[in-house]
Amino acid sequence: MSAGQAAALSARHRRVSPLALARVFWRSLFLQATWNPQGMQNLGFAYALSPALEELYPDPVRRAQAVHRHLEFFNCHPYLAAGIIGGAVELEERIAANAAPPGSVSQFKRALGPPFAAVGDGFFWLALRPAAALAAAVLEPLLGLGCVLVFLLLYNGVHLSARLWLFARGYQLGEGLIAEVGRAQVPTSTGLLKACGAVLAGALSARAVLLAGLPHRPWHALLVGCTIVAAVALLPRLRLWIALYIALGLGLALGSTLF
Amino acid sequence: MSSLPLPPGGPPHLFTLTVIAALFGGFAAIERKGALQLMLSRPIVLAPLLGWALGDAQGGLMLGVPLELLFLGGVNLGGNLPDNETLLAGAVTSMVVPAGLASGFGTEPVLAALGLALLAPLAVLGRRLEGASERRNGELAALALARAGRGDASAAGLNLSGLVLPFLSASAICALCVLLSPLLAAVRIRCPVRLALGLEGGWHVIWALAAATAIRAIRDPRAPLLAALGALAVAATALVVHLVSQ
Repeated sequence: MSAGQAAALSARHRRVSPLALARVFWRSLFLQATWNPQGMQNLGFAYALSPALEELYPDPVRRAQAVHRHLEFFNCHPYLAAGIIGGAVELEERIAANAAPPGSVSQFKRALGPPFAAVGDGFFWLALRPAAALAAAVLEPLLGLGCVLVFLLLYNGVHLSARLWLFARGYQLGEGLIAEVGRAQVPTSTGLLKACGAVLAGALSARAVLLAGLPHRPWHALLVGCTIVAAVALLPRLRLWIALYIALGLGLALGSTLF
Repeated sequence: MSSLPLPPGGPPHLFTLTVIAALFGGFAAIERKGALQLMLSRPIVLAPLLGWALGDAQGGLMLGVPLELLFLGGVNLGGNLPDNETLLAGAVTSMVVPAGLASGFGTEPVLAALGLALLAPLAVLGRRLEGASERRNGELAALALARAGRGDASAAGLNLSGLVLPFLSASAICALCVLLSPLLAAVRIRCPVRLALGLEGGWHVIWALAAATAIRAIRDPRAPLLAALGALAVAATALVVHLVSQ
């Protein structure tokens, strides 16, 4: 479809009002309120889309059908889902105008959900959040409580911008969103953030050793240093809470006699 | 109750703190996954925020930073549930900060180590509670599907009901932790010096474990090498600062 045809078609559609779009975006922040093993984010998706469906389908029967079709299985990263929600609103506009079949929105969700989930998990959960938290933890001795703001600003500056941008672009582009996200160089940023996170984690380890060793407590420093190296090696084979009790026991036994 | 140490304002103070902890704990529980996900429920934010509301923000931060690092690698991917760091951070802060106020020691490593030793299993319990809550959500989703099938266009409104169970369970646990905090304060007051030294050592080792967990949390084969470089850089800087200051 050419840009002119798309514009002409879009002009004939009933469009969702900006207020309803804002409500859809707000509700998208509750996508996982009813996360469940069977449908995953299905109910959250239908809930987010409801304000748009109310405007597009004044007839309650057609509206209930639209809600029903969005209660199908859906799973994605909760932030990147904003793009799919925006695209689904645009597709529902076309479906309401009988310019697209009802099944098209399901195909769209199924096609984008898994790849967006992989991109979002890798970037937000495994790179940005650890890097932001480590930056805040490293800055804690300098900034005190200000480090909490550093964490929130670093993380949410990226997170909220990404969510808003994805929602807006999803609504404007529909399926074209895939190419847009592909151009965002997410894997490169993920690698860089992970590298920064690793350096910061190392800095934090050195800080733990130095603080334990001051003032003039070489045994503390040695114990902490050895624990870090041993824990890095053993943690994959040990449950965290077990490691926690071993660490406490070690500190308790050695701390009361050696230090 | 009268023989137990209480926060400076006595029982009314303790009950005010209980209500505060219940509200913060409940909201953090729903923010963690069901709503917003602005990371307000992460230990590094929740503990100082709740600590501030309970009367010791700095103490909350002291608890929150290592807890954040300990659970940095926990990721909710699909149906895989990680240990619940939010419940643990909320509970530890709810117990340790009021105990610090009541004992007069403030929030310090000995109380922190004791609180963590007592409450660490809550991270696992929280994961199980989350699983139970998600099974209940499955029933809500099935109900919504049935209602929409019968022509009820408002069926999706059931979504927010999924927030009730996590809110209530976390609220109750955090409130209980505040109510039990005088017991922790009493233990701290009676703690022999040698044991206190040991617990302080334990807190240092917890920090070491937290640093190691943070390195493991970076799921990248280059992470140990890059971490070693970061550690060397800090050690070298500390050495230079030490030499210059002498």
